[in-house]
Amino acid sequence: MSQQNMIEVKDVHKWFGRLHVLRGVSLTIKEGEVVVVAGASGSGKSTLLRCLNGLERIQSGQITVNGLPIHGSRTNLNKARQQIGIVFQSYNLFPHMTVLRNITIGPMKVKGMFSTRAKERAMSLLQRIGIADKANAYPDQLSGGQRQRVAIVRALAMEPKVMLFDEPTSALDPEMISEVLDLMRELAKEKMTMIVVTHEMGFAREVADRIAFMADGQIVEIASPQEFFAHPKDERTRRFIEKVLAV
Amino acid sequence: MTPELDLGTLRPPREYRVFKLVLRVLVVALMVMGLLSLMYWELSQSYPFRWRPALQRLDEFYHGLQGDGGFLLTLKISGVAMILGTILGLLVALARLAPLALLRDMGTLYVHSLRNIPFLVFILFMYFGVAEVVQKGASVNLFGWVIEGRFFWGVLALSLFEASFISEIFRAGIQSIHPTQMESARSLGMNYFQAMRYVILPQAFRVIIPPLTGELIALVKESALLMVISLPELTLTAKQLGSQTPLQFEFYTILAAYYLAITLPLAGLSYLLERKLKIGAREELT
Repeated sequence: MSQQNMIEVKDVHKWFGRLHVLRGVSLTIKEGEVVVVAGASGSGKSTLLRCLNGLERIQSGQITVNGLPIHGSRTNLNKARQQIGIVFQSYNLFPHMTVLRNITIGPMKVKGMFSTRAKERAMSLLQRIGIADKANAYPDQLSGGQRQRVAIVRALAMEPKVMLFDEPTSALDPEMISEVLDLMRELAKEKMTMIVVTHEMGFAREVADRIAFMADGQIVEIASPQEFFAHPKDERTRRFIEKVLAV
Repeated sequence: MTPELDLGTLRPPREYRVFKLVLRVLVVALMVMGLLSLMYWELSQSYPFRWRPALQRLDEFYHGLQGDGGFLLTLKISGVAMILGTILGLLVALARLAPLALLRDMGTLYVHSLRNIPFLVFILFMYFGVAEVVQKGASVNLFGWVIEGRFFWGVLALSLFEASFISEIFRAGIQSIHPTQMESARSLGMNYFQAMRYVILPQAFRVIIPPLTGELIALVKESALLMVISLPELTLTAKQLGSQTPLQFEFYTILAAYYLAITLPLAGLSYLLERKLKIGAREELT
């Protein structure tokens, strides 16, 4: 069972009112796999991620994460979400809590972990990203890159089986992008199962096991990075790659 | 990383700031005293003020004529109604934001029916309507806890009425917090109530301190209307004293001062709380 399927998405449809955002998306991701999702804005990438942890409901299809049907009527979504970490473009740290508290609040209140143990683990996570000295600072005292890395370790503190990244570097100043990507690279090396929505094609080429390209609410192409960049099959993928490589 | 800027060297010295503050307070105090004495001097041309006999009744203002009312009773009524009104207001606000349409409708009905009638009418309705039917004897027995009838109905009316205003303040505060905060709390596995308790409400509370204070001050002032059900609170005490001794002007001045003694510290407390909670507050959301 080493190559167990961690995420299974089967023929998912999602409407926002009359807008058909996801039009039959299917995707299977194995344990430890890193999949980068690319595509123009409005193609449904973020919506797909938000459906994966149940932030958005779906109208038809099935999503299973680590064997749990996310949109099943008997699924305890709060339990399921403990296994799914998500990192947003705008960090979404809790501004009224210190960095340390941001990281410990989940394990303490959701998992019932003792405060001393939660703090210990949070400190070692902060040491890992090199900002242990900011433990008692508030989020607005950190740089964008630091905030996003805190957001990542806040999710990691819950010991998730899967990490979802929704354009984690899009709100960052260019010089801060690499510190966030480096942390994500490390996670990939540690065999974390990851879905990353990003425009960073350099990162995708280097880290991804597969790249999925979305357009008009569908995954039009999914392939290994070499295959994806060298022999794109779909016309839309080809145009996208031309644009990305031209920059 | 930019080098840390030492703000200590840029700010004027502490002694200067304290001096400036004291000076400002003094100037304002002098202006208020000047205005007041001008007004009272003008009035004293046609009205013979007798402060000495009026001030001798201060103790009766404090304890009430029978020793069970006055300032202390107003304090007690306001305190209990503040706690009940705030809790109920929060619950109604949560109901109005609930995913269940029935709860939302009930909350809306509550707010709009209470907020849009005069408080005086509501007191009369509660005490001469509801209480007449429900209450047996002079006191209310609440699960073995005996409460004097007028106090019970007065506090209940005040709490219910103010909760309709307070709930709207809570609702505005909760809605002012960006929905992404709720999303990221839920994403960590928190349930709705944990997310409210740890993430949304602490941030909302910071936003609503000024309007909530305003409403709590209004509550203290509104408690004066409870005199219509002969609850011997501060205003009724002043009125009764005035009918015993013809010192109306002096008594109502003292009455106003007593209310200020509750409401001004409340405003000060709110200001301090606001300053305390401001630290580590801002994260700009994109």
